[in-house]
Amino acid sequence: MDNAAVIEVSDLRHSYSSVEALRGVSFSVPKGSFFALLGPNGAGKTTLVHALCTLLRPSGGNVSVAGLDVRRAPRAVRRSLGLVFQEASLDDRLTVFENLIFHARIYQVPRRERRRRAWEVLALVELEQWANAPVSDLSRGMKRRLEIGRAMLHEPTLVVLDEPTTGLDVQSRRRIWEYLERLQKDHGVTLLLTTHQISEAEGADWVAIIDQGRLQALDHPAKLRQGIGGKLINLQIGDDAFRQALSERFPGKCKQRDSVIQIEAEDPDSLLRELVADEQQWRMVDSLEVVDPSLEDVFINLTGRELRDRTINLSR
Amino acid sequence: MTALKPLLRYTHDFAATTHAVWLREVLRMLRDSGQIVGAFSRPVLWVMIFGIGLTPYFRTGLRETTFMVPFTYIQFILPAVVVLNLMYPAIQSAVSLIWDREFGFSREVFASPTPRSAIFLGKLAGGTTIAMAQGLLVMILLPAANVPVSYTSMLAALLPMVAVALAFTAIGLLLASRMSSFQGFGVFANTLILPAFFLASSIFPLDPSLSMEQALQSFPAWLVFLVHANPVTYAIDELRWAMLGYRQFDPVTARAVLSAFVLIPIALAYHAFRR
Repeated sequence: MDNAAVIEVSDLRHSYSSVEALRGVSFSVPKGSFFALLGPNGAGKTTLVHALCTLLRPSGGNVSVAGLDVRRAPRAVRRSLGLVFQEASLDDRLTVFENLIFHARIYQVPRRERRRRAWEVLALVELEQWANAPVSDLSRGMKRRLEIGRAMLHEPTLVVLDEPTTGLDVQSRRRIWEYLERLQKDHGVTLLLTTHQISEAEGADWVAIIDQGRLQALDHPAKLRQGIGGKLINLQIGDDAFRQALSERFPGKCKQRDSVIQIEAEDPDSLLRELVADEQQWRMVDSLEVVDPSLEDVFINLTGRELRDRTINLSR
Repeated sequence: MTALKPLLRYTHDFAATTHAVWLREVLRMLRDSGQIVGAFSRPVLWVMIFGIGLTPYFRTGLRETTFMVPFTYIQFILPAVVVLNLMYPAIQSAVSLIWDREFGFSREVFASPTPRSAIFLGKLAGGTTIAMAQGLLVMILLPAANVPVSYTSMLAALLPMVAVALAFTAIGLLLASRMSSFQGFGVFANTLILPAFFLASSIFPLDPSLSMEQALQSFPAWLVFLVHANPVTYAIDELRWAMLGYRQFDPVTARAVLSAFVLIPIALAYHAFRR
């Protein structure tokens, strides 16, 4: 096993009665990295996370966390994990500080260190003034920050965040990103984050794209974008015949939606020059846009679908 | 000695978790003003209104009585009110289990490296503590009810009280493990508590000087049967014995039934909890 890997997943499979949620997923997460698991809802992300944090016994394959097998040493695995769940998991009736001390106790933080560490993580997520407030007084964003701080309380090697910014406003999101960056840079924590939002994966060191229970791609975000090649040119053209002609000229490089045709161009300059040169053609172009490919484009390229919330077909 | 180390460590971790879960239950109760109001109003209502109101009718009776309970009605029902004030909070404490599932706190607990048995023990101890606090609260009314208090009688009262608190906390946990809604739990808990309380010779005595045949002449058979089959009957009887030195049932039977009444629900609740 690679010593530098915090998570090793090999050929992980899991089925819920007749539905295959994971169909053989393998990857490893290097120590100290920020690893994003990107996929639409129902892709198998949460199943994967639950297998990682030993909440679910996978039907097949192996998972190890910090060198420990999740099946054989679940308690040791749990101790090395910090978890931030998709939904809130705080006790509203206790105060902020009491929630932290409770966590310290059930994660076996030595008594002498409990209070000191609680104050440390409160400082980390800037909630010191709220220490004695009941959690029910906190906003959604503050609760999420508290949960991130709490996940750090027992000094885990790996923090797993399942869709951490769902339902938060922009400001809270930005703050949470700052904390996560700080965790990784200053505390050397490995971060594994699941998301269905492209923008959240862009800043990661590694992005794994998962869909229908399979890993579709795994690389640095920049490399994934490069895989698409050059730039994307979006042309709005009212004339059907012209669009048709273009897509025939660049087979496999074009996508159409309504009156917009998108062309993947490794050398956008020459293509544009060619377009502008033919005045008759140029007049038919209503608008033109040259953009860098995003992870969304990578995703569409890989799966032929957009990464939006879609309904999952359970009978599949 | 080195072989002992992991065991000591495990024991320490286990105790830390149990303590954390227990403390949380107690803190939650202290912040629930509804529970605290209930803890005070319930005994006051029963003892001061029901007890005082019915006292004049108790000895003479509306029908011919064949025996005399050597106490006033207030004195007679006071131990039963203690049990009632144990039953409610004990069952109610298990609501936190449903609450945790609903609001996600159970994820924090169940994904932690602590053994489930420690969580269960913490919940059981928490519910029992809350119930004991509310049960002991009724003792404030002892002077008003004219029940003589002594250290020995108080100590003797603790054992049957703990038995009721444990048993009903376990019953609550058993119910809550299988139920998903607060409303369902509340309705179920109430339909369980009230009959269990009324059918325990709590507010009316079964005449102990009568033979079974005679008892069946003065009360309908189903009532006599249900009172005898109800474990709460024996808990109240034990408590009456401790506080007043008066009992209606055989002490050996009472203690055997109470022991089973504590152990069986705990075993069932633990089984349901581990799933």
